[in-house]
Amino acid sequence: MIIFNENRSFDHYFATYPNAANPSGSIPFVPKPHTPKVNNLANAHLLVNNPNNSAANGTGATDPFRLDRTQANTRSQNHSYTPEQQAVDNGKEDLFPKFTGRGTAGGAGAFGTNGQVMGYFDGNTTTAFWNYAQHFAMSDNAWTDTFGPSTQGALAVISGQTNGAQNIVGTSASIADGQGGLTLIGDTDPAYDSCSSTSSTVLMTGKNIGDLLNDERISWGSFMGGFDLTLKNANGTTGCARTTFSSNVNGTIVDYSPHHAWFQYYKSTANPTHARPSSVDAIGHTYEKGGKTVDPANHAYDLEDFYAAVKAGNFPAVSYIKMSAYQDGHAGNSDPLDEQVGNVELINFLQKQPEWRETAVIITYDDSDGWYDHQYVAPKTASYDPTADQVNGPGLCGLGPQKQPAPKGLSGKPVNGRCGPGTRIPFIVVSPYARTNHVSSTYISQASVVRFIEDNWLRGQRIGGGSFDASSGSIMDLFDFDQDHSHDYRTDALFLDPTSGTAITSPPDEHHHH
Amino acid sequence: MNSRTMWLLGAGLLCLAGAVFAAGTQGLAETSQLGANPNPVRLMRPPVAPLSAMAQLGKEIFYDASLSSSGALSCASCHSPDHAYGPPNDGPVMLGGAALSRQGARAVPSLTYLDRHPNFSIGPDKGDDDNVIDLAQMAAIGQQAARTTKTAGGSGASANIVPQGGLFWDGRADTLQDQALFPLLDPNEMDGGSAEIVADKLRRAPYANRFVELFGAGVLRNQRLLIAEAMFAVARYQVEEVSFHPYTSKYDYWLEGKARLSESELRGLQMFNDPDKANCAGCHTSAPTRDGLPPLFTDHQYEALGAPRNAALAGNRDPSHFDLGVCGPQRTDIPEQTQYCGMFLTPTLRNTATRHAFFHNGVFSTLEQVLDFYNFRDTNPEKVFPRGADGAMRKYDDLPQKYHVNVDVTDPPFDRHPGDKPAMTEQDEADIIAFLKTLIDGYKAEN
Repeated sequence: MIIFNENRSFDHYFATYPNAANPSGSIPFVPKPHTPKVNNLANAHLLVNNPNNSAANGTGATDPFRLDRTQANTRSQNHSYTPEQQAVDNGKEDLFPKFTGRGTAGGAGAFGTNGQVMGYFDGNTTTAFWNYAQHFAMSDNAWTDTFGPSTQGALAVISGQTNGAQNIVGTSASIADGQGGLTLIGDTDPAYDSCSSTSSTVLMTGKNIGDLLNDERISWGSFMGGFDLTLKNANGTTGCARTTFSSNVNGTIVDYSPHHAWFQYYKSTANPTHARPSSVDAIGHTYEKGGKTVDPANHAYDLEDFYAAVKAGNFPAVSYIKMSAYQDGHAGNSDPLDEQVGNVELINFLQKQPEWRETAVIITYDDSDGWYDHQYVAPKTASYDPTADQVNGPGLCGLGPQKQPAPKGLSGKPVNGRCGPGTRIPFIVVSPYARTNHVSSTYISQASVVRFIEDNWLRGQRIGGGSFDASSGSIMDLFDFDQDHSHDYRTDALFLDPTSGTAITSPPDEHHHH
Repeated sequence: MNSRTMWLLGAGLLCLAGAVFAAGTQGLAETSQLGANPNPVRLMRPPVAPLSAMAQLGKEIFYDASLSSSGALSCASCHSPDHAYGPPNDGPVMLGGAALSRQGARAVPSLTYLDRHPNFSIGPDKGDDDNVIDLAQMAAIGQQAARTTKTAGGSGASANIVPQGGLFWDGRADTLQDQALFPLLDPNEMDGGSAEIVADKLRRAPYANRFVELFGAGVLRNQRLLIAEAMFAVARYQVEEVSFHPYTSKYDYWLEGKARLSESELRGLQMFNDPDKANCAGCHTSAPTRDGLPPLFTDHQYEALGAPRNAALAGNRDPSHFDLGVCGPQRTDIPEQTQYCGMFLTPTLRNTATRHAFFHNGVFSTLEQVLDFYNFRDTNPEKVFPRGADGAMRKYDDLPQKYHVNVDVTDPPFDRHPGDKPAMTEQDEADIIAFLKTLIDGYKAEN
């Protein structure tokens, strides 16, 4: 299972891990002994004398600073393809306030300036994720495959790449790939989705992991908050306009975001009308029960369907989860506290299922939101668009087309627009098979999720057509599959309070349906 | 990335909730002997939790009188917790300064029910959008746009390109944090002296160590940050402390089916909501939002109502002095937007029945006077405004002639003319006041 949250960098959530400030009155976080050191701001000695605290960043110049639980509701930072590259500044990682920073009007100190981008949370706010990391395993070397926002991440985690875009309505957030095609470098809604924009949509012409799973008849599903257009929310909203109120962000948020809807971008795995599955038993399957008629949902469901299917004993082999927007973690429409509630409720639920003993949950992110992260790696996938690419200088992401050609795209020729890796993001594995309080520093990316599914279910088959699944790192280092779990699966569960993120001893009540 | 966010627009959400709500009040006649809400709703109150460290620090600052030059005034002096965080005195304004002898410029607003208050903007709120349109641009659009009439239960308020949100009577502060610093430094209020003096007092305050705990040792050396974080803490106290937004009025419990309204209170509610009578709910939203959030009794918009001048204010001795609200003089950023001269924020009516100062200049001291103003301003203006030495009635005497055109003459009951029948009878007014008293917090529900 993949819970794909939104818009946080690794340092933004783990800058001082495992040590929280624990001011009096906070929800204290006490680290376990022998917690491994991670590559974060504290250990890199970048909490003070940070290179971003320089004149080049103007009024946004600041050292990193702690965001309190009471400051969970922040602005969203700039996370476009080019500004994120400019912030990297050829590896100096010193221009975040200038290029990706955004402040909150009337905010205290740096919070009110572009310096907000240097803010980080600790275990007094992201309590559940810190607890999962202590009890299970996480990576401190996980990256977005490319710079840029949500849609790229949503595509990378199912197909390992973003080349092969095709405009359907208007123009999309894409650039010429240099071979007569397009590479998506921003957020554009998927074509034909009944909730999509009417002025700009795009399709992807390559393959994704869903195609490969279908070929092998492995059950799988996409489960997104807000996807079921037949439901009516408590506030009376319906269809694409279903909304939920969040007191943390003080706003009413539309549940479903088409530009996060991974599989909708591919004709073969789309469910453009959001058709409902023929039955709970059909969830995860290409065919209706009986195996003769093609099921109308085509593997695309609502998050509520996930709960229903698992309760009915029909747990798909591979599940991609997207929370309703108010719980997806994206600053502006969500926040770490609402995100925590959504993630913890789901994981608590899973841990009570008999299938838990053979389940792995990957929690990771679509992009960094532009939040500061100190770590630089030289581009592994080069790109040389004269204006869009800026990591190593104007038009440069990599050592130059001769020394380091751009990787091959869908058509087998080198293509532009996939400058990466982008930014470090959190990556946590919650599973009875996860190592305990383990931190892996093996280089991995969003495409590594695709690779793991291929290695686990598809005998190492690869997507091809320029997908990064073949070149991505392996996440196996986060697991210990040799451990005997035959009689101790209960001890491998960690139930948390959804609001505080702290450990609780007994499993909580059932998930309440929205 | 667009976050497809729909921000609360106050009355904007009335459209949907209004339908349910209208049905609710229509059925009142049959059920009035019982006085119960025929269609009870579930209200979503803000979550209650122990005060965070931040809020605890804010509380100490909120009650710290040493921050004032007199040593006698804290935030709580004018925003008294025993008076719905409004003024505890009977006069139109409070007194401040070193000797507690200087009048504040305006009536002290209540600090309650600001937890859902939007930032200042002009026109429909666009949320956290990448395409930021500045205030001047929006105001220019507003000059060309026809204004919709606001009626109770209607959707007029959400479409209007008028100022909305922001704190103070003129909206000059966006956040509670920004707001808190103004009274602290105002020579007529706490008279804190300067940022240097305030920061120095904070460094020596008994709670100074809490700053270090929350923001690191560097905070005491950085004056700007120290003050900003102190004000953030005060704001956070107001957000977390439940008594700033308890939603425990008789009306809240009536909405939930846990209290009965008297015959007079029920009639008052009907008058309040009736577009042809008082039409109060046209601006003072009375229906819960569709998310079940309790009504705030304001649409957060600005109105020029043309209230009479208050001779009791020292500043008004100068006949050329006018308090024009949104376009100045206290607010200084949009004086050129003269179409907003005379506009002031629509306040919540929750706990208003405990107040003794109404409107921005505190010209009225009783709800009877306020209701008379709404009722007679246009039909019998002589009952509301004074006459000049020449015997001529001086309608809108607290606004220069050139801004009289800004005064609202379209939203009922202000759409009437001299000689027309007033919107309310004496009994109607009494019933509305009875209803307004059901908006006082601290009612003990039946179960």
